[in-house]
Amino acid sequence: MEEFTVPIGPQHPALKEPISLRMTFDGEVVKHVDVRLGYNHRGMEKMAEERSYIQNLYLTERICGICSHSHTTCFAQGVEKLMEIEPPKRGLYIRTLVAEIERVHSHLLWLGVAGHEAGFDTFFMYTWRDREIVMDILESISGNRVHYAINTFGGVRRDISEAQKQTILDSLGLLKQRTEYYTNIGTTEPTFVARIKGVGKLSKELALSLCAVGPTVRASGIKSDVRKDDPYAVYNEIPFEVCTADTGDVFGRVVVRVNELFECYKMIEFMLKNLPVGDIVVKAPRRVKENEVVSRYEAPRGENLHYIKSNGTDKPERLKVRAPTLANYPATVEMLKGCFIADIPLIFAAIDPCICCAERMVELVNVKNGEASVVSFGDLKKLASEQYKKCGNKPEPVSIAKQLEKIRRKS
Amino acid sequence: MLAQLVRWSRIKSPWVLHLNTGACNACDIEVLASLMPRFDLERFGVQLKGTPRHADVIICTGPVTRQTKDRIIRVYEQVPDPKFVVAVGACAMSGCVYRGMYNVIGGIDQVIPVNAYIPGCPVRPDAFIDGVVKLLGSL
Amino acid sequence: MNEEKIITTIKENLKDKVLELTNPSPRRIFLKVDKNNLCEAISMIKEKLGFTYLITITGLDKTDSFELLYHFADDTNVINIRVSISRENPIVSTVTGVIPGAILYEREIQDMFGIKVENIPDPRPLITPDDWPEGAYPLRKDWKYERPGETIPGGK
Repeated sequence: MEEFTVPIGPQHPALKEPISLRMTFDGEVVKHVDVRLGYNHRGMEKMAEERSYIQNLYLTERICGICSHSHTTCFAQGVEKLMEIEPPKRGLYIRTLVAEIERVHSHLLWLGVAGHEAGFDTFFMYTWRDREIVMDILESISGNRVHYAINTFGGVRRDISEAQKQTILDSLGLLKQRTEYYTNIGTTEPTFVARIKGVGKLSKELALSLCAVGPTVRASGIKSDVRKDDPYAVYNEIPFEVCTADTGDVFGRVVVRVNELFECYKMIEFMLKNLPVGDIVVKAPRRVKENEVVSRYEAPRGENLHYIKSNGTDKPERLKVRAPTLANYPATVEMLKGCFIADIPLIFAAIDPCICCAERMVELVNVKNGEASVVSFGDLKKLASEQYKKCGNKPEPVSIAKQLEKIRRKS
Repeated sequence: MLAQLVRWSRIKSPWVLHLNTGACNACDIEVLASLMPRFDLERFGVQLKGTPRHADVIICTGPVTRQTKDRIIRVYEQVPDPKFVVAVGACAMSGCVYRGMYNVIGGIDQVIPVNAYIPGCPVRPDAFIDGVVKLLGSL
Repeated sequence: MNEEKIITTIKENLKDKVLELTNPSPRRIFLKVDKNNLCEAISMIKEKLGFTYLITITGLDKTDSFELLYHFADDTNVINIRVSISRENPIVSTVTGVIPGAILYEREIQDMFGIKVENIPDPRPLITPDDWPEGAYPLRKDWKYERPGETIPGGK
């Protein structure tokens, strides 16, 4: 039996990031997955060395549009450590508040996309409708819907008024009510649960050895959360639980994220009710002494790490950014192995590699001699119809390579 | 008569292809958000399509990275005529903060011809709808 | 486990292989070893101290030499293992035997710094584009990028 290698990506409308996957199938089962990155590589780390710290703050914000606050916070708290300044309590509270609201928006987005991949578009529309409430809150706090730019060195740029506090609390009530409804659907609706249960298994040992992060690893039963383990900002003052699930499949990841949503609501409420009075920002110096720092942050998808080395000027010597998605690729590859074609979108969840329309070229790899030959779609169609004619209703295996040679000889 | 019908149908049902050429996801989620219940671009007949062969309008987000350059040209060639390209966001227009990085070529117009530019970092759904309506109005 | 206990365990197990061991801020430990002792140090902290999670590998260009930082984390602490690599002969051995999840980071280091990782299971480029020139390593300090001129369509 020959194996099919199908290139998926890099361009697809539902593909969030341009990424190329080369999958080898044996029948309908995925045998091997090869990830090729670099379509979205822009060279940020090099550019960061040529820009000043405050410029880099806005550069790091544009690493990712969905969790933009996570990167700026991670960078800002690292640089604050280098500058040896301590932001005021109120500033830290607002920073954490925005971080948690961002987590709500990211998880709602993910839930919708998961529903979409499972063929449950109503769920997709519902969660995205409610995501708009979160976007309104973020807009009222920071002034922008996606890149909030609320962080600055030594605190935050905007304060929260009493009236804003009340609006946030009011819309939070609505969100809570709606999320309860989604939890009910997402974890008990039989058709949806049947679709996501047991798909994309990742055992605890594998998750540990492949260094997976975030909700992916928490769904495999590992209690790993930077907010608890290595508390930054004001997480050591806020009561919250680390949510885990032990199923290790897509269902587990839905459960973890839904439970995290409720934890987020609790934390937001707590922070709004206990918001300290005082300044929101302290003055930061322009130059930074020679030093190095490792800053960690729990983004909605997992752990962010920024390594910053300063050299005494107003520009960093080196900025290294590790985003959570990169850490999860090896684990995703393992999850995909042995699954069915229909499960790939679900496992990739946010990344939807639609087989039928992603590419019009299929590569046939002759397993015996390892030679690859590229076949056009027309040829494949011809092949398929010929094969159908030949075997009638019986699914008799006919060597595709032989057929191909015939076509080639003809043309 | 026939020309009128063609023009009418072109304006009433522009099918779009969303092409991420190296964006930071911000414009992408805003493009998606404008198709969602709150903003509902679909009331203008706009529909998101999965393949370039079904699309009339390419919506490009993000700066062009070196690796995606050839792919953009390939996708552009696959879209049937008449085709329109909309550059969404500051990056797609000029490169924004990524301008001058070694792996970034620049805006979309460095690679393929662009019909409409929508500024913003990221583009707000309202701005996006405005841009699409203006493009349709120019037909 | 607190920092003092980690530091004493490292000192007991690695003895004179420890070139430098500092604890500049809470929960952050910097350990410097020779590059030949890297795998030994990593398996030691993995087995004795439970640092199973490799966060990432950072490369640094110090103009006269390269430096690699392996960031490891357990429940609370971060150990950063520092390895110095000469500029003339930039070779380091792979750690995928101990930590299978390190593969993407090692490929990234190969692309960005041109540091050859020995015995890496999959040495293809990961990030750099297909038409990237041979021998150009973007994150080296002596590599400069000249931006080619742009033509603005419809402009002057």
